Amino acid sequence: MSATGIGAPVRRKEDYRFITGKGQYTDDLTRPGQTYITFVRSPHAHARIRRIDASAAKGMPGVVAVLTGADLAADKVGSLICGWAITSKDGSPMKMAPHPAIANTKANHVGDPVAVVVAETQAQAKDAAEKVVVDYEVLPAVVDPAKAQAKSAPQIHEVAPGNTIYEWHLGDQKAVEAAFKGAKHVTRLDIVNNRLVPNAMEPRAAIAEYDAGNDSLTLWNTTQNPHVARLVISAFVGIAPEHKLRVIAPDVGGGFGSKIFIYPEEVVCLWAARKVNRPVKWVSERTEAFVADAHGRDHVTHAEMAFDGEGKILALRAKTIANLGAYMSTFSSSVPTYLYATLLSGQYEIPQIYCEVDAVYTNTVPVDAYRGAGRPEATFVVERLVEVGAREMQIDPADLRRRNFVKKFPHQTPVIMAYDAGDYNASLKKAMELADVKGFAKRKRESARAGKLRGLGYSTYIEACGIAPSQAVGSLGAGVGLWESAEVRVNPTGSVEVLTGCHQHGQGHETTFAQVVSDRLGIPIENVSVVHGDTDKVQFGMGTYGSRSGAVGISAIVKALDKVEAKAKKVASHLLEAAEADIVFENGQFKVAGTDKVAAFGDVALNAYIAHKFSGQELEPGLKEGSFYDPTNFTFPAGCHICEVEVDTETGQVEVVAWTAVDDFGKVINPMIVEGQVHGGIAQGVGQALLENTTYDTDGQLVTGSYMDYTMPRADNLPSFRVETTETLAPSNPLGIKGCGEAGAIASPAAVINAITDALGTEEIAMPATPAAVWAALQKVNQSRKAAE
Amino acid sequence: MPAVSMTVNGKPATADVEPRTLLVQFLRENLRLTGTHVGCDTSQCGACVVHVDGKAVKSCTMLAIQAEGANVTTIEGLANGSQLHPMQEAFREHHGLQCGFCTPGMIMTAVDMVNRKGNELDDHTIREELEGNICRCTGYHNIVKAIAAGARSMGTGGARKAAE
Amino acid sequence: MAMQMNGEVQLPAQREEVWARLNDTETLKACIPGCETLDKLSDTEFAAVATVKIGPVKARWRAKVMLSDLDPPNGYRISGEGEGGVAGFAKGGATVALAEKDGGTLMSYNVDAHIGGKLAQLGQRLVNGAAKKMADEFFANFAKAVSPPPPA
Repeated sequence: MSATGIGAPVRRKEDYRFITGKGQYTDDLTRPGQTYITFVRSPHAHARIRRIDASAAKGMPGVVAVLTGADLAADKVGSLICGWAITSKDGSPMKMAPHPAIANTKANHVGDPVAVVVAETQAQAKDAAEKVVVDYEVLPAVVDPAKAQAKSAPQIHEVAPGNTIYEWHLGDQKAVEAAFKGAKHVTRLDIVNNRLVPNAMEPRAAIAEYDAGNDSLTLWNTTQNPHVARLVISAFVGIAPEHKLRVIAPDVGGGFGSKIFIYPEEVVCLWAARKVNRPVKWVSERTEAFVADAHGRDHVTHAEMAFDGEGKILALRAKTIANLGAYMSTFSSSVPTYLYATLLSGQYEIPQIYCEVDAVYTNTVPVDAYRGAGRPEATFVVERLVEVGAREMQIDPADLRRRNFVKKFPHQTPVIMAYDAGDYNASLKKAMELADVKGFAKRKRESARAGKLRGLGYSTYIEACGIAPSQAVGSLGAGVGLWESAEVRVNPTGSVEVLTGCHQHGQGHETTFAQVVSDRLGIPIENVSVVHGDTDKVQFGMGTYGSRSGAVGISAIVKALDKVEAKAKKVASHLLEAAEADIVFENGQFKVAGTDKVAAFGDVALNAYIAHKFSGQELEPGLKEGSFYDPTNFTFPAGCHICEVEVDTETGQVEVVAWTAVDDFGKVINPMIVEGQVHGGIAQGVGQALLENTTYDTDGQLVTGSYMDYTMPRADNLPSFRVETTETLAPSNPLGIKGCGEAGAIASPAAVINAITDALGTEEIAMPATPAAVWAALQKVNQSRKAAE
Repeated sequence: MPAVSMTVNGKPATADVEPRTLLVQFLRENLRLTGTHVGCDTSQCGACVVHVDGKAVKSCTMLAIQAEGANVTTIEGLANGSQLHPMQEAFREHHGLQCGFCTPGMIMTAVDMVNRKGNELDDHTIREELEGNICRCTGYHNIVKAIAAGARSMGTGGARKAAE
Repeated sequence: MAMQMNGEVQLPAQREEVWARLNDTETLKACIPGCETLDKLSDTEFAAVATVKIGPVKARWRAKVMLSDLDPPNGYRISGEGEGGVAGFAKGGATVALAEKDGGTLMSYNVDAHIGGKLAQLGQRLVNGAAKKMADEFFANFAKAVSPPPPA
């Protein structure tokens, strides 16, 4: 391993600009003549818009335009869409309601845009927005997914009777019922997977600019996938033809899924920029982000697991209601279906699984993929069932897991996925050693002496990453293919640009992708730059989400590097006057096998461009190759997280006192970056389990709408983490990469709750396990103990 | 509009601003020092931390005119020319940043922490002192490591003191 | 989100006098905290503009104020709904009952209020206190308005 090659903890190339304040986020950019836009948003969760009086706003200083949903409709701007078609049990298609970028006749959630003001300055736009008078007829609202399908619930969209988007299922219901009939033990759980606000630290932003000379538009946007944004905005919303729209995603300050989606704001900025013929800039405020950015999770589930007399799992069944909010966001439909039910087998051999999912509209912010997207929900269901099952049957939870682990690969689960490689026992074993599970009883006694309850919880999770084989997802309803592209451009001086369709917003691609190139071509890492995030520079690509950039994005780079090497060998054969078959490439040098004839990589690159040594008939000049890599399978990162907590019985305060994670991510390119990804994921999962909750009151008002009320994990809420890896290579891609971005968030909520319930001696605790909730649970335990005495 | 004058990163800065202009807006919009970020609107996240007369201040909680005559240091003014401040070096060395958005505020807070608490900072102190800074990417583990290392490095003979 | 509160205040004035002042535009304008204008549209309808700050949200509210359930001189219901632009909305009312007591009048009130939008999002933890303070202020102002001026 070289100091900068695959497997080395190379310090990040991108850091210099960030630590010196030279990053260029969308809000840091200014276009000449730029105007500012402010969105007037509905304060009501559900209200008919009777009339909008913009006359006072139009007269305010600096106002350039006041625009409404009626103007948008008059200009025939198309609806926002959900790009994954789900079919209900009865064969009917999902009920996708129109989603205009500005509500025209009815506002469907607090924060739904109803008008915009464009003005010379941000302050003027805000001042004028105060003067827009909207006459609402307030309608009853529904926010609870479990109540959305009731006959008495208000109807949100005409196309979706009973607010039901789809009633979907997966698996063999009859076989599952039969398996349950033969069960020795059944574990049953009711689970609420709490609604979360992703909260990337950089609020979303957009600048749209119209070039009247070329009739083209440019959008600078906080997006994880600029090409997908361009495709949707052009093909479905119809703002401009694809070749007349350039989307640039500059430095983006975190995404976690929330910046995948195509939102109303960027569409409105583009539309308004052409209308006022000036650049239009929007920067979300945090309070605005709480009601404008897609939320995550929000499942209500009943789940059951059937065991035989030896603790072998016979079957699992689950019924989930998924809240998709007021509109179907870009990938919302896939999250509670193909990203959720397909992972319900966990790391276990479960002969039969059946899952039903009803997706519903409510008068809340749309819900879509958030770090893990479906897989944290699945892991929580499976890992809680296994843990509770073990406790009920009085089997050691680690032992019960071991008895049920998939041990032979490939393994076909009953829910589509075919696991190709893994060693689940290896990660469990290593994690148990690192976490000193043997010493836990002693630590528990020590905690007890200090008046505290100590608990230990496991989560042996699996996820499907490397999203995704296009043909497979196409057959499941995806509207796009999920391959990735790369272009490797070798310059005449031997330096290299890698153009990738992935987008980095914290993942460190500028470093890891360069490591792969440096390793392969034997050139210094400083001589490699990674280009991404601009549809005018980079070939079409699918972007970054679903822990896909390593498994799919790097694989595309590797395929392009294969072609570069092959072409370079041809050039080298002319340069070294040898047969192509005799050329070998080693340590950055082209050699003629069995001789001392050598050409450095740089010489070959230069010769490829000056083209003096070969004729154009024999060989095309240049050294630049591209690849579109379509994976042949998902990848299956898996591992074991062990959480240890201490509970203060007086206050209900839970402290996470130790965390051990052992993950199998396949080949690791940069262990430093991979560890960082795991840390961040765990923090978000601990946040979900202990701190974060998105609360709507019954009127549909968001009452946890700022950092004063929505509890973001802070440094003193978290411990230091012990993070290690095991390795089984993913057989489906050239380097064996599995992906690491979401693992922490997928594994951790179940580990935390398993630890808390272990400490408390009750399974009845919902996320987030706030001090108040834990204290209340403790009182209940004490009461029932007293009653028993 | 009232005029406001202050020294920012060692250079005089003067502008006419609306009275409601926040210090962070003045830095970002008038001076184009966009390294100071805005991550919330309730003074919770700490992405906007700068030093005013040597002390860490959330620049979204202060009006520009309140900084009249003050000596302000932003992330852009922390390095000594091309030589990074030890705390900047520590964040890079220990992978204390991912998306980079909270990083300027984290680094400015960290330098202030060392100025107040000294060069030997334990994890507990660092975590408590970071109460006013939110990071969504790192889980804080590496930020804590970076600050401890940066603090030590600020104390060793070879390293400079904080820019102010 | 909804909130409710109630209270009572002993006024040193006759019930008829209190009733008359409860229906008097100038008195109401002087007593509603932050009220800038109060225009009578009919005997039971007013248009009001008031500036109110709750926590970090300060807004100028345009409100419709209505009197209903008039039962002179026993009481009425005063209700209003206002849009504070991007700050959100507030609506609510108070049922006011007047009873003769100790030579004066005991005025009791039940207040209910709903808020929404940014106000609910940012100010909800403060809004109960603020609404109580505003109601107390209104009824204290009103008590002052119907009290005889202190001797010079």
